[in-house]
Amino acid sequence: MADALLETRALTAGYGEMQVLRDISLAVQPAEIVAIVGSNGAGKTTLLRAISRLIPCGGEVTFDGKSVSHATADEVFGSGLVQVPEGRQLFDRMSVEENLRMGAYRRGDRRAIDDDLDRMYTLFPRLSDRRRQLAGSMSGGEQQMCAMARALMARPRLMMVDEMSLGLAPVIVDQLLETMTAIRKEGVTVLLVEQDVHAALSVADRGYVMETGEIVREGSARELESDPEVQRAYLGEV
Amino acid sequence: MELLAQVLVGGVLLGGLYALMALGLALVWGVLNIVNLSHGALIMLGAYATYYLFTGTGLDPFAALPITAIVLFVIGWLIQRGILNLVIRGPMFNTLLITFGIEVILTYLAQLLFSADFRAINPPYAGNNFRVLGITIPLMQVLAFAIAIGLTVAMWLFLLHTRVGRGIRAASQNLVAARLYGVNPRSIYALTFGIGSALAGVAGGLYGTVSQINPYIGGPLTAKSFAIAIIGGLENPLGVIVGGLVLGIVESLTALYAGSTYRDVASFGVLILVLILRPTGLLGRTT
Repeated sequence: MADALLETRALTAGYGEMQVLRDISLAVQPAEIVAIVGSNGAGKTTLLRAISRLIPCGGEVTFDGKSVSHATADEVFGSGLVQVPEGRQLFDRMSVEENLRMGAYRRGDRRAIDDDLDRMYTLFPRLSDRRRQLAGSMSGGEQQMCAMARALMARPRLMMVDEMSLGLAPVIVDQLLETMTAIRKEGVTVLLVEQDVHAALSVADRGYVMETGEIVREGSARELESDPEVQRAYLGEV
Repeated sequence: MELLAQVLVGGVLLGGLYALMALGLALVWGVLNIVNLSHGALIMLGAYATYYLFTGTGLDPFAALPITAIVLFVIGWLIQRGILNLVIRGPMFNTLLITFGIEVILTYLAQLLFSADFRAINPPYAGNNFRVLGITIPLMQVLAFAIAIGLTVAMWLFLLHTRVGRGIRAASQNLVAARLYGVNPRSIYALTFGIGSALAGVAGGLYGTVSQINPYIGGPLTAKSFAIAIIGGLENPLGVIVGGLVLGIVESLTALYAGSTYRDVASFGVLILVLILRPTGLLGRTT
């Protein structure tokens, strides 16, 4: 598919001698929500780290028609491919507002940044009350909102969200998933990596299933949800 | 009583200068996680740069400070890009050894180029004093104090309220997240080390206006800067003001009551006490 926004071909990556990813080929179309699901240790986080160029990788990654296989992490970010990392990774000793401004680190358009700040506070009203609070002192759900808002401040074309649901109450997860659908309506493509298969497939258009560093299944979210193999392995149904 | 007040004022004025000396070391330590043992040598180079700008061109020493800052920024930037960048991911022991080596090289280069003679930066108004409430205050010390504190506060505002300042703090708080959000660690590190060196250079220039300089002043000044950074903590640039004032006052009081031979004993006694009682610094790592 030539018009894919993000495409990986035969992507391999690992840490030192240990190869974690083998031959990952996937594509994300503009304005899609794509889920990558799989159990702990399947290599999902490694995949996002490789795409963001935090770790070296082999194979080919193209974003918006351009190869980013040899780019640096900040160049990948600059091209509009933005990651919300696992564990949030906020700047703990900065205020919420400063964290959001860090999302706009590569932008120079001051007035538009201020407008976007207001948009974020409308999208996440909880953050609005806490804009002066240190990010590290908030609850997990608020931190996740802050992490997503920080990513959106970069005006991403594709937002990769890693294990958003980890450690959060189901109510908060549902709220964040709703936000993600709203974000997509504004034209942001979303690549969602989740252990919570059910939550991920409930908002996604398509999905990939990863196991031990390989993609073992792909299809529409509906197909995957009703796939007996996926149900047995991940959804706890027989 | 009057003598005590005189000594305290002297301690405070010295403390302001100490704060600026330590600021660059604390900044580099906090962001690059390098304790730069060549920091004092950079202070020494800044003192000589200011001295030669003053004696060579007749420029007022305080007006020469911006040029000193630029020269030292370039030197620092080159040291980081050319040498330290090679060991930035290495264990702390390596960076300690390398910066110690740089200190030795800079000290002996200075001895070759500038000779071991004592020098002083003495503009025509160097002897001026004024008296407030019976206390004599030397003009040079007041100027050095004001510039040092002003620069420290300016640096604090820069880190807090500018985009680049935020990038520097981001890199020190969470490097992975900083990289994910468009901060290029190579350029932030070189910039930070350059700024740290420029601050050292200005501190050196000011030191030369209130004290004599020679190529060997670096070592003790590195140690004092280290003590102040520990007292003030690395996170808040204003912490070095507290650390600097504590050290300045303790040193001055010791010189008064125990004799000036014991100056350094007192300042490093304070360091050891702080390390035992509050290993994170008096002010801790808070913003």
